[in-house]
Amino acid sequence: MPLTSLRHTITQLTGLLLAGLLLFVAPTAFAGDTDPSSPIMVPNPGADLWRAVRQRDGVHLTGQTQVRGVETGVLITQTGEEFRNYRRNDFIGNAGLVIAAAAGVILLFYLIRGRMRIPGGRSGKRIKRFEDFDRTVHWLVAILFIFLALTGLILLFGRFIVLPVFGAEAFGLIASACKEGHNLFGPVFLVSLVLLFLRFVAKNLPARGDLKWLLKGGGMIGKGHVSAGYFNAGEKAWFWGVTVLGLTVSLTGLVLIFPILGQGREVMQLALIVHGLAAVLFIAGSFGHIYIGTLGMEGSLESMTTGYVDEHWAEAHHDRWYAEVKGLSDPTDTGTSDRAASGGLHPTPDKA
Amino acid sequence: MANMKFYCDAERCIECNACVTACKNANEVPWGVNRRRVVTIKDGEPGERSLSVACMHCSDAPCAAVCPVDCFYTTEDGIVLHDKDICIGCGYCFYACPFGAPQFPKAGAFASRGKMDKCTFCAGGPKETGSADEHRMYGANRIAEGKLPLCAEMCATKALLAGDADVVSEIYRKRIINRGASVLNWGVNYDKASLRAPRDMSGKASSEG
Repeated sequence: MPLTSLRHTITQLTGLLLAGLLLFVAPTAFAGDTDPSSPIMVPNPGADLWRAVRQRDGVHLTGQTQVRGVETGVLITQTGEEFRNYRRNDFIGNAGLVIAAAAGVILLFYLIRGRMRIPGGRSGKRIKRFEDFDRTVHWLVAILFIFLALTGLILLFGRFIVLPVFGAEAFGLIASACKEGHNLFGPVFLVSLVLLFLRFVAKNLPARGDLKWLLKGGGMIGKGHVSAGYFNAGEKAWFWGVTVLGLTVSLTGLVLIFPILGQGREVMQLALIVHGLAAVLFIAGSFGHIYIGTLGMEGSLESMTTGYVDEHWAEAHHDRWYAEVKGLSDPTDTGTSDRAASGGLHPTPDKA
Repeated sequence: MANMKFYCDAERCIECNACVTACKNANEVPWGVNRRRVVTIKDGEPGERSLSVACMHCSDAPCAAVCPVDCFYTTEDGIVLHDKDICIGCGYCFYACPFGAPQFPKAGAFASRGKMDKCTFCAGGPKETGSADEHRMYGANRIAEGKLPLCAEMCATKALLAGDADVVSEIYRKRIINRGASVLNWGVNYDKASLRAPRDMSGKASSEG
């Protein structure tokens, strides 16, 4: 303790001494600056040049070279090191945490709430919800997404998880296949995404009741189910999330796999960073969608596999759409008495 | 156990591109791949300088840090090499490298990247030393023959130095002493300073032996 206080005093005294000296020295130093005959005051003429080559102080000096290509005249780039530090120190670990946390939240939710049953059980009567084309587009996007997510995750975490298990040679082969597959099906994913958007955008525009649905957390806050149309606000949010994240991932991906567009390294570093961030959010979000579509809610999966949903499911989760299909004017009319009489109003043939 | 480094003396490089040609010849790299390039800064202006640049064989290589398949390794001589059997051609090393050293042959459709190629310090690769496979994939292995990289050996003005870092820096240190200690001689910038011969030409470091 006495040693540190002594050191502190010395530091303070040195500081004061230096400040005092500066008062005497500074005026003469600045006066001498204009005199080039004094060799001490002439700045090293090479210093500015090498600072510019080194891309310090925001100056980017580009040279000429015989080698053709993008940025071949740049001797040293500063951003490569930042990219490296971001990727190794910030991104990979946190990406793993976010994905693990998303899976953890889903698991916790399942353990607390369990599987949501269809209220009142299955009615045995079914309503058409998705056309064949709807389901084709959905599964095209879904299969491509799962493939791209898996190959992307292997490329991101493989060095730390897969490589130590299989060895460098085998992992090189796996990673090479992943990269080729990822780059081949990435552009196809963009096409499927455009199809998905065009097919579903009309039903996903914000509508009356969406805000209320969101405020009630889709029925998680408060009691009872919240009124919803063909798609509820949660589904709409996921649709727009898929659109924005999907386009972001696809477009940044195109920047990365086609190095003939004239893009420089800084653009590609940024593209890879954005690609990774969007992909991690996309994967984390997909857990929620996959959970609610399979394990989390009874009767959801069959809408995308068969195209039909149970009437009680439709009435519980999409009451306004249900009323529309049944030809009822207002969803508030769908009381218990209507359910009993609904057989007569049935507009679509029951294929159960 | 050397620690191999390149150093290019900007006061000596005359932009003849012999190092580039020598490299291409020694390693028989494909079209579009340039392991070494000469960059001229301030071309045609006062203070023009040229530098030959390739992989600098970093002690803490950024390429190796970002490689998703960990295909880089450093030899006992401090040379950074990579295994093309493991490389997947993702391009991350190119993003991270400050010198633009990693090169990618346009292998696939729409010029997508093939396996990365870069300067090996003429030390071949992980294949059997001196084998045809090694030469085909990585180029010359002059280090195994006790020779330095051909680019530096070919340099007419001895601007490009290659070898153990201690030796290279010692040569450069002696050059600096010979050029004189005056800051006016630190890099000749014709618009800011005049060329002056060192006042005392005696005691040249290079004359010591």
